[in-house]
Amino acid sequence: MTNPAPRPSRRVVLTGSAAAALGGLVGGFGIGQITTGRAEAGNTTDPAAPSAGYRGFHGRHQAGILDDAQAHAVFLGIDLVPGDLDASGQRERLRSILKLLTEDAQRLMSGQGVLADTEPEMAVMPANLTLTVGLSRTMIELIGDSLAPDSLGPLPDFGIDELREEYGQSDVIIQLCAEDPTVLAHAVRALRKNLRSITTVKFEQRGFTHATSSRPAGSPFRNLFGQVDGINNPVGGNREIAVFGFEPGDTWFPDATTLVLRRISMDLDSWDEVDRPGRDFALGRRQTDGSPLSGNQVQDPVDLNAVNEMGLPRISAHAHVARAMPHGAQEVLWRRGYSYLDGSNAGLLFASYQRDVAESFIPVQSRLAELDALNEWTTPIGSAVYGILPGVAEGMYLGQQLFEAAGRS
Amino acid sequence: MHESEFPMIFSKKTTKTLGALALGSGLLLTGCAQGTDSEAAVQPDNSPLQADALQVTESWAKAADSGMSAAFAMLNNVSELPVELESVTEKDHGTTMEIHEMDGEGTDMVMQQIDGPLLIDAGHRVELAPGGNHIMYMDLSEPLVPAETSTLTLNFSDGSSKDVDFAIRNYDGANESYHGDGEHADHAEQAEHGEGGH
Repeated sequence: MTNPAPRPSRRVVLTGSAAAALGGLVGGFGIGQITTGRAEAGNTTDPAAPSAGYRGFHGRHQAGILDDAQAHAVFLGIDLVPGDLDASGQRERLRSILKLLTEDAQRLMSGQGVLADTEPEMAVMPANLTLTVGLSRTMIELIGDSLAPDSLGPLPDFGIDELREEYGQSDVIIQLCAEDPTVLAHAVRALRKNLRSITTVKFEQRGFTHATSSRPAGSPFRNLFGQVDGINNPVGGNREIAVFGFEPGDTWFPDATTLVLRRISMDLDSWDEVDRPGRDFALGRRQTDGSPLSGNQVQDPVDLNAVNEMGLPRISAHAHVARAMPHGAQEVLWRRGYSYLDGSNAGLLFASYQRDVAESFIPVQSRLAELDALNEWTTPIGSAVYGILPGVAEGMYLGQQLFEAAGRS
Repeated sequence: MHESEFPMIFSKKTTKTLGALALGSGLLLTGCAQGTDSEAAVQPDNSPLQADALQVTESWAKAADSGMSAAFAMLNNVSELPVELESVTEKDHGTTMEIHEMDGEGTDMVMQQIDGPLLIDAGHRVELAPGGNHIMYMDLSEPLVPAETSTLTLNFSDGSSKDVDFAIRNYDGANESYHGDGEHADHAEQAEHGEGGH
């Protein structure tokens, strides 16, 4: 399990005891951070003080997966620059990049700047920052030929897709999430500088959801159509089972999972033309509170057999909820999506974590692509799938278990 | 080029240490930090070897294709005896190494090879940082590739030595002018050419 509970970083522990000269531990301070970090982190007894917000980096699973979504996200897709490296050279390049990402994630999530950081002060209050790293099938196969089974995808072509190359598959994905967009901007910038010249940026997709201060943690969110999204998202143990299975063998690699990232354009202007009954009919839920048309309250079940006084189904067979409903527990996804909005370009960064793409996302999305009333207003324009690496203990680097399994430790 | 506001790094030295180092009069190493954090929590260690007395953290080197580059770190002397860093050697990138100090003020700062060993007084730390003291790669024949590491051997005045890994990172600063003998090109120019093709 990852540990989503806030816990003090090494730096905070240190600042309390002012043990700065304790040899190896002094390294916890980024250059220029010694005084500012102390002043701010030392102020936590004041109830009005801002919460620094730490999510632990180390654990069986990576952070940023099972924990509730922070307000802001960037999905940074990068490609290796192979140069004249042979397969072995590319593999070692990938390993060094994963080591760098591990170092950067640990430092940034604990409120330190990265090495060579020109603005480490911006990292001091990490605001629940998480970095979560995944690899494309190609990169996983570069580590070891047999490491990427069907449970990892790739995704088939869906008829509704109008995919743009710029939002397509990248070699590496880094999901960065934080409550504070300034913290996030610094983390993205620090990573991009560190990765420059050995990688190229395929995409930097930004998304947002509600501020934590504006609604209870873990609440469903309203997408830009005004719909309550994520009502049936799994919680607690069910979420963990959907993402990691019951035992290590349930995922493509022990303690790993998969991420499907799709950019779904939403046509807000034509949606404006749809009146409330049409909107509720297309979704199968009421825009007011998210309750299903087969019930009265948001948690009422979606009952496709419920009929009205005229004997007609309350939820249409081609309503979105009817088509998206999981056909069994194996199809349950954990959706951790974000809205995006840039001028008139609006939509959803659909991000779902699931144990096995082939058994869950693909059958659900195939049904939606075939028939879904919402398809009239939505268009997938980006699509990629990643193997999300297992979590690591202190002293390890992300991906290390894969290199070891491939006999290349 | 250098900016007027360097992140100036001041080594934690006593006045006595400054004298012993015979630093130039214009040097910006102010003995500013007596009695601060570094002295408060030192764990005395009676190990006789300087290599064991010195703990190196935050170590990184600036990526470069060729020519010159620089390495930085926090040097923490956790013993009750002074540590004298005499020289640094490197074997993987075909380069000689020097230990440099900064001289001058503001935008007129230049770097020069340090006169004598770099002293880290008992229980103190010295920061090697852009705009301050640093370790210099003089003539790289192999590139310092971002995300890889460069292993440097630190050699001390008592004959002991230790290998330290420096994480290679992209960095656009650290373009100090070199107070050289005319054979070395200007450091800024070298660093620009040496940058890893971003």
